[in-house]
Amino acid sequence: MKEYDLPVIRFIGLGETGVKLVETLAMIGLNGVESYSLDTDNRSLSRCHQSKTLLLGKSIPCGLGAGGDIAFARAAIESDRDYLAKLVSEVDLVFVIAGMGGGTGTEAASFVARLAKEAGALVVGVAATPFNCEGSRRCNKAAGGIRDLKQSSDVVFHFSNEEVMHMSGGETTLNMALETANRYLCESVLGLCRMLIEPGLLNVSFGDLKSSMKEKNSLGSILCVESDRVDFASDIMEKILAHPSSLNGKAFREATTLLVHFSGNDNLSLAEINKVIESISLCASAVDLIVGATDSSKNSLLQVTLVIVQKSKTISSLMETNESKDFTPNEAHNLSGPENFMPSGDNSYVNLGVKSKSANRGGFAFAPPAPALETISPEMKESLLEAAANQEPNRKKRKGIKQEMLPLEIISKGRFEKSEPTVHKGEDLDQPTYIRRGILLN
Amino acid sequence: MSDSQIIVGLEIGTSKVCAVVGEVSGNQVANIIGLGQSKSRGVRKGEIVDASVVEEDVRNAIVEAEHMADVEIQSVFLGVTGSHMRGFNNTGVHPVVSADREINDADVQDVIKNAKAVNLPSDHSVVHVIRQHFSVDGQDGILNPEGMLGVKMEVDVHVVSGRYNRLQNPIRLVNGLHLQVENIAFNGLASALATLSTEQKELGTLVIDLGAGSTEYTIYSGGVIKHTGVLAVGGDHVSNDLAYGLKVPLGRAEQLKVDNGSAVIDAELNDPIIDLSTDNIIPGKKINLNHLQMIMSMRLREIFELIENDIKQAGYIDYLRAGVVLCGGGARTPYITKLAGEVFKLPAAIGRSSTVSGIKNALDEPEFSTSIGLIKFGAFQTQTIPNQGGFGRALRKQFVSLFGVRK
Repeated sequence: MKEYDLPVIRFIGLGETGVKLVETLAMIGLNGVESYSLDTDNRSLSRCHQSKTLLLGKSIPCGLGAGGDIAFARAAIESDRDYLAKLVSEVDLVFVIAGMGGGTGTEAASFVARLAKEAGALVVGVAATPFNCEGSRRCNKAAGGIRDLKQSSDVVFHFSNEEVMHMSGGETTLNMALETANRYLCESVLGLCRMLIEPGLLNVSFGDLKSSMKEKNSLGSILCVESDRVDFASDIMEKILAHPSSLNGKAFREATTLLVHFSGNDNLSLAEINKVIESISLCASAVDLIVGATDSSKNSLLQVTLVIVQKSKTISSLMETNESKDFTPNEAHNLSGPENFMPSGDNSYVNLGVKSKSANRGGFAFAPPAPALETISPEMKESLLEAAANQEPNRKKRKGIKQEMLPLEIISKGRFEKSEPTVHKGEDLDQPTYIRRGILLN
Repeated sequence: MSDSQIIVGLEIGTSKVCAVVGEVSGNQVANIIGLGQSKSRGVRKGEIVDASVVEEDVRNAIVEAEHMADVEIQSVFLGVTGSHMRGFNNTGVHPVVSADREINDADVQDVIKNAKAVNLPSDHSVVHVIRQHFSVDGQDGILNPEGMLGVKMEVDVHVVSGRYNRLQNPIRLVNGLHLQVENIAFNGLASALATLSTEQKELGTLVIDLGAGSTEYTIYSGGVIKHTGVLAVGGDHVSNDLAYGLKVPLGRAEQLKVDNGSAVIDAELNDPIIDLSTDNIIPGKKINLNHLQMIMSMRLREIFELIENDIKQAGYIDYLRAGVVLCGGGARTPYITKLAGEVFKLPAAIGRSSTVSGIKNALDEPEFSTSIGLIKFGAFQTQTIPNQGGFGRALRKQFVSLFGVRK
């Protein structure tokens, strides 16, 4: 298969959202990139013209979709295992693109990613997560899906529709929000591919990408912003910070590797590049920074692609992030047509639009969703939990649990958080002196 | 060139890795011919936390130094520090057993060996045993007892020790780069060697090396080292305090510290607000310079106070007649000498590595004092004076044992 000098790149879209995104990507078209759309639903595949399609599980759901049923989706995928394994073999880079929260996308993504990884490819997951208002069950399922995908692929780039909504303010229509979310996603993925395909002045090779992502099993973000100004530095930085994937700059703080790629024409100013890099490295200290640039653009438009790979986190911290609303999942397309408002087999839309308290029940994010949990009253829940606690078989195990300190006084130690504390006569010298001495800054 | 020797000092610091190449010719004056440095990313509080990154940084620094000095570096003198290091004084006693009661070389070695036999925790090992004074039959202040007559000989030494495993980390890392580590030296000692003149050592001086991750201090008095110590607090803490107190990212805090920092609070600031509204990272942010100075000053004052307490406890505060010498990156803070003067109630000055010659601008920077001191340390260790017979050898022995290292 390796007839190109360029790395072999494949987009694999899974589930309805994935198919739609891949179709959009294929429409724009990049040389040396192959697009495949896979779904359990005939209807979504019938809309594909540019990408190669495959109906998953021909015999099982009869081409009518998995309807959010994980077991059903799994059976469908398993039945086409051989085809999928062939699809991801002898490929350098696989983009597994899926919308999280549904049946096919959520389940198939991690499955395909695992197959691709076994075949030796660099696997990049691209996951779109639903709006909060699509219901807690869907959001939790999406968070679980991302977690699975993260474990089976090298890096997962996460695009949150909720974040797009926050960024674009309250004035947008649903259609516009979805369109913006998709645009951000497609631009970013294309930006990343361009980085690898276009011959560069400062080259970012496939090897760079591989070494920065391989076996990271972490989350990441891609940002792609454009500017048509000659002095683009401040314009680009503004746009980067306004980009939903930068999570208000939070993405930078947690980064371990940053790839910055400038794609412009031959008037690219070194001073401006320098300014951008400086500003970026100020907010992301202690990261590996890889800079690339190409001058192949025909017009005066400059595109900057920023790939951020975050530190690998444990499951517990993932839950935290989920709680703090960063993960706020939702799938773009299931809301796109009126027909989708019909409850599709499960009750994921039952509390559509209801800002239920349980929406961000972080601790429960990855437990298998109990049926109709929302219908249980708080009192009932208490008693159920109590009963469950009493039934706990291994009481002895609890002895090993360490008593945590209550975080009554939250003083961050910043960069010394993880180092050996410097304690002098009972005082922790890593905490700012002025705080220990009780001096107030007004 | 045949009688000159190349000595390389390598300091793996918290903010930078620095390699200095020195040439020692027959007349024992070290001449700095090369300097290489790189930003350090894998060190916290003076100790390695990410070996692979540090390895890369060390390689970069060495390559740069090699390039500048146009030599191939094969071995280095390595500076070590960390909160685990301790300095204390000890005394060794040895009866002179030979029939004529003349003290010979073997007696001197024995008494020092006795002095080394201190009660260290099992995981500690001795880095330096520095002899201070001998006394023979109660007669104090003897510098070299060899050839004297006596029955009982005593020696006072200063011992610097550290945890064996933590000392091995940087050594193994440097060995991994196919560089030989000739010897290790405590950073505080190296800085003192670089900055102090003989006169200052005699009169009594406190040298404080304000590094990014840790602060080392050494007291010289009567020409010998009296006291050493490490405090795992440094410039990083200042930046971290600023980042926390002013609510800016750490990188920006670092820059604010460098651009607007001050060790004392200047009450008569005309315009105490720094406007960062044109800044790309934290647009619209305004920073009160008074707060910045307050946070910095509190932290630096605390560092000095902790050192002062320690010295008072050890009883050396009245020995410092030549005042305080500051070096390390932290010594660049404006008004730092004023603050040190206030805390110690002694004259304070920035240390210059005046005791070696070479590239002028490298020597003027206080942050290179440790690396330069390592060269001086190395020069003492490898001193060979050919064709001078007995006296030369004796001198060499004197130096080697003065800074003798047992790993």
